[in-house]
Amino acid sequence: MASTGLSSSNSSSSSYDLSFKILLIGDSGVGKSSLLVTFISNSVEDLSPTIGVDFKIKLLTVGGKKLKLTIWDTAGQERFRTLTSSYYRGAQGIVLVYDVTRRETFTDLSDIWAKEVELYSTNQDCVKMLVGNKVDKESERVVSKEEGMTLAEELGSLFLECSARTRENVEQCFEELALKIMEVPSLLEEGSAVGKRNILKQKQVHHTSGGGCCS
Amino acid sequence: MEKKRVADDHEVEPAVPVRVDRFGFVKQEQNSAEGLCRSRSASEYEREERRIRKWRKMIGVGGSDWKHYIRRKPHVVKRRIRKGIPDCLRGLVWQLISGSRDLLLMNPGVYEQLVIYETSASELDIIRDISRTFPSHVFFRQRHGPGQRSLYNVLKAYSVFDRDVGYVQGMGFIAGLLLLYMSEEDAFWLLVALLKGAVHAPMEGLYLAGLPLVQQYLYQFDHLVKEHLPKLGEHFSQEMINPSMYASQWFITVFSYSFPFHLAIRIWDVFLYEVKLPFEKLIHALRNFPEDALNPDVLLPLAYSTKVSRGLDVLKQEYEKQNGKQAEANRKQG
Repeated sequence: MASTGLSSSNSSSSSYDLSFKILLIGDSGVGKSSLLVTFISNSVEDLSPTIGVDFKIKLLTVGGKKLKLTIWDTAGQERFRTLTSSYYRGAQGIVLVYDVTRRETFTDLSDIWAKEVELYSTNQDCVKMLVGNKVDKESERVVSKEEGMTLAEELGSLFLECSARTRENVEQCFEELALKIMEVPSLLEEGSAVGKRNILKQKQVHHTSGGGCCS
Repeated sequence: MEKKRVADDHEVEPAVPVRVDRFGFVKQEQNSAEGLCRSRSASEYEREERRIRKWRKMIGVGGSDWKHYIRRKPHVVKRRIRKGIPDCLRGLVWQLISGSRDLLLMNPGVYEQLVIYETSASELDIIRDISRTFPSHVFFRQRHGPGQRSLYNVLKAYSVFDRDVGYVQGMGFIAGLLLLYMSEEDAFWLLVALLKGAVHAPMEGLYLAGLPLVQQYLYQFDHLVKEHLPKLGEHFSQEMINPSMYASQWFITVFSYSFPFHLAIRIWDVFLYEVKLPFEKLIHALRNFPEDALNPDVLLPLAYSTKVSRGLDVLKQEYEKQNGKQAEANRKQG
C-alpha cells in the first residue's frame, strides 16, 4: 500500500545550521512524488498518486552548511487545491514541475500554478525552480529545453531538466535551490531563526523529542 | 515509467508465481505482518465456520432476511459487525447495509449505458491513475488486465453519473477496495449509495468542490486530538502540525489508501453500518501505537472504549456554524 503521511527520513538528528521549507507543485502525474522519493531515498519506486499532502525531511550539506529541508509534496489535482493552498505560506523555495512529454502540464504552470504562487505565497523573495521531468523519455518529448528556459526567465526562476527515473539532475535540483535560498539574506535569516527557535524549544522540553516529526 | 514496469511484470508473471497475502497483495518481505499470515489452528477454523453459519442465518438466502433481522435485532447486528463481517460474505453484506442492492434493481441497464455509450471529461485523468491504484495487488497489477479494466469502467461510469463530483483522485482506492469484494456493476452502485445516497449517504460531500466533508472531518478530528490527547495536541501546535498534514489522505479515501488492508476493511464494516467514521480508532492509534495495534481485534475494542460520539455531533454543529457561509461560498465558486 502507499506510504503513510507520517513518514520521514533522516530526521533523527537535530543538528543542522539552517532549516528551509520547500514546496513541490504542478499537475497530477508529472512526477513530483517521484522526484522527492528519488532525492530522499536513493531508490526509484513506482508510486501511488498523492492524496492531499505529504512531506519528507532531508538533511544534507550544501555550501559547507548543514541543512534541514522539509519538503512538502502536494496533490496535483484541482479539487485538492482547497487543501494545498495553505502550504505556500512561509515556503522559502517552490519547485514547479512539468512533464516534458505532456505539453498541457507545461502550459498549466504559467496559466495556473504561477498564479497560485502569487496568490498564496507569503514570501516576497521566495526562490522558484522550474523543473522539466521525465527527460529519460527523449523520444516522447514535446516541450523543448529552450521553451523551458524561456518560461523560467519569465517566471524569474531557476531551471533544470531532470529524470526521477534515471536520477539525472535530481540532487542538483534541490541543491541549487538551497544554494540560491542561502544567497537571499531575508530567507537565510528565516532559515536560521527557525533553527534557533527549534533548538531553544528542545531545551525547554528537556529533550523529550528526538527532533523527528513523528517521534 | 509506470507503463514499463507493468509491461515487464506481465511478461515475467507466468514464469514466476508471486507470493501473496490472504487478500491478494503481493508480499513484501519486510512489510508482511507475520501474525496474520500464520496458518490457522483447527479450533480457530471451527470458530470461523460457526461465525459464518450465524451470519448466513442472519442475512438469509441472497440477503432476503437482512432487513427483517436488522429491524428486530439492531444491537446484535451492530455487535457482530464490530467483530468483523466474515470475508466471504463481506461484499454481499456491504451491499445490503448501504442499500446499493435496491439501487441496482431499480436501475436496470443504467450502468451498461454509462460504460458503453457515455464519454467523460475525466477519462484521461482516470487512465493516468489506473496503474497507480493498488499496484501491488494481483487483481490490479496486470496492465489492461480485468482488474484495471473494471476499475476504469466503474470510475468512468461514476464520473458521468455524478458530474458535480466527476473524478477525484482517491476515489480509485475506494472503487478498488469494492472491486475486490464484488462485481463491477455492484461496486458502481455501492459507490453511488455512498456518495449520493440510498439508505443514507455517508460520504456525501467528500469529493465535492471545496471538499466540505473532508474539512468537517479535519475540524472534528483536530478538536478531538486536543481534548483527548492534550499533550500530543500541544506538541503538534508547537511544531505547527495540523491534521490536514497527515489525516487528509485518511479521510479522502476512507482509510483505503495508506492503512493496512486488513484494518481498512474492518473500518469499512463499521463505517457502512454506523454511518460515521470511527474517530475513536484514530485517537487510539495516536495514543499508543504498539505492534499489535495493527491487529483489528486488538485495536477496535480498545478504540470503542473511547467515547467521542457526543463530542462529534457538537463539533459538527460548531463547524457548520463557523464555516456555513464560507462552505456555501466555496461550493458556489467550485
